[in-house]
Amino acid sequence: MDERLRETLSAMMDDEADELSVRRLLSHGNQDEIRAQWQRWQQVRDLMHESHFAPYSIDVAGAVREAIDGQAVPADSRRKARAVATSYWHWPVAAMVALALVVGFGAGAGWESQPGDVTDILAAAGIDEGGAAELTSAVEEVAWQRLDEDQLRQMRQYLLEHAQHNSVGAGGGSMGYARMVSANGGY
Amino acid sequence: MTQASLLKATAVATRTGPSVASSMISENNSKPGEQTESQTDLQLVRKVRNGDRAAFDLLVVKYQSRVASIISRYVYDSQEVMDLAQETFIKAYRAIDRFRGDSAFYTWLYRIAVNTAKNYLEARGRRPQGSADSAEAENFDDGRRLRDVASPESLLQKDQLQKALSEAISGLPEELRSAFLLREYDGLSYEDIARILECPIGTVRSRIFRARDAVDRYISPLLNHSVT
Repeated sequence: MDERLRETLSAMMDDEADELSVRRLLSHGNQDEIRAQWQRWQQVRDLMHESHFAPYSIDVAGAVREAIDGQAVPADSRRKARAVATSYWHWPVAAMVALALVVGFGAGAGWESQPGDVTDILAAAGIDEGGAAELTSAVEEVAWQRLDEDQLRQMRQYLLEHAQHNSVGAGGGSMGYARMVSANGGY
Repeated sequence: MTQASLLKATAVATRTGPSVASSMISENNSKPGEQTESQTDLQLVRKVRNGDRAAFDLLVVKYQSRVASIISRYVYDSQEVMDLAQETFIKAYRAIDRFRGDSAFYTWLYRIAVNTAKNYLEARGRRPQGSADSAEAENFDDGRRLRDVASPESLLQKDQLQKALSEAISGLPEELRSAFLLREYDGLSYEDIARILECPIGTVRSRIFRARDAVDRYISPLLNHSVT
């Protein structure tokens, strides 16, 4: 640790170090050296302010570090874990939406739904056979309900607005919106 | 206060400790040993929140003696004190996202330490003594209890350290000693010290560093500073 860094550490003792200096200090390669220096200066300060000085050696820093390294999850890692957890749910949700679309449009076109295929899709999304059967029957029930003219118009209007919002507000590009306008024809 | 009287005050402080020097200086700033809002603590807490473990190490090293002192008000066995101090810091690390900065970091840590000690005693069917009033964190004389539980050997070591400290400070060049004592005993900012000593802030910063370094080198052989 060079002279300048040690002076920064001394300024940190006195609350006089700026953010950039602190960052530079914490990114220094030899943190053991920094910690040892910091600890000695803290001990000198504790000794000067007698009431803070511990007459027997107190050093739990190493034990705390080991315990935290072994057990605790830092904030950043928690955020990453949350991100991973979120992405973990992307596949099942996407699969369910795809399933609903396939079954729904298939029903509209007079297709025969193949439960085995659907189960395969859900299995790929990590849903077991029992859950897949339950989900499939529920989706089929919804998909087979016939929509009257008003409901159909409302649904198309909703999809159109959604595509428009997606292309303009959410930066998803205008292709989806163009396709929707084109597919809707007179609506 | 003139510079001559200030230097006299710091010279007195070297011989007698902080109280006389403080009474000779009119400003009433917080001293480094007292618990006020620390800019460095907040900087370190921000780093810890961003996943910087080294920053938390510095906070542990800074406060471990004081946390142990608080706990020793409730628990008298030194090994139990160590274990609970460790537990306090682990809890603090896990809860660091909940520290909003409304109070000083030390005050927040103080509450965790007191609750950890009380919970420990309750779990063992022992009735906790004392209060967990966080306002006490400001004025708490940490050393009293530790002095009670200290062994004669450790008290002797402390006396030796105090003697060495006085020698080290006395041996400092006048300009280093003045800046160092104004900071340590009177808690003045670098800006105030620069104004009093009529020199640039950078010079104050450098003088305090050199004084601190010289004192450290003098008493370092006597200190138990095993960093694990």
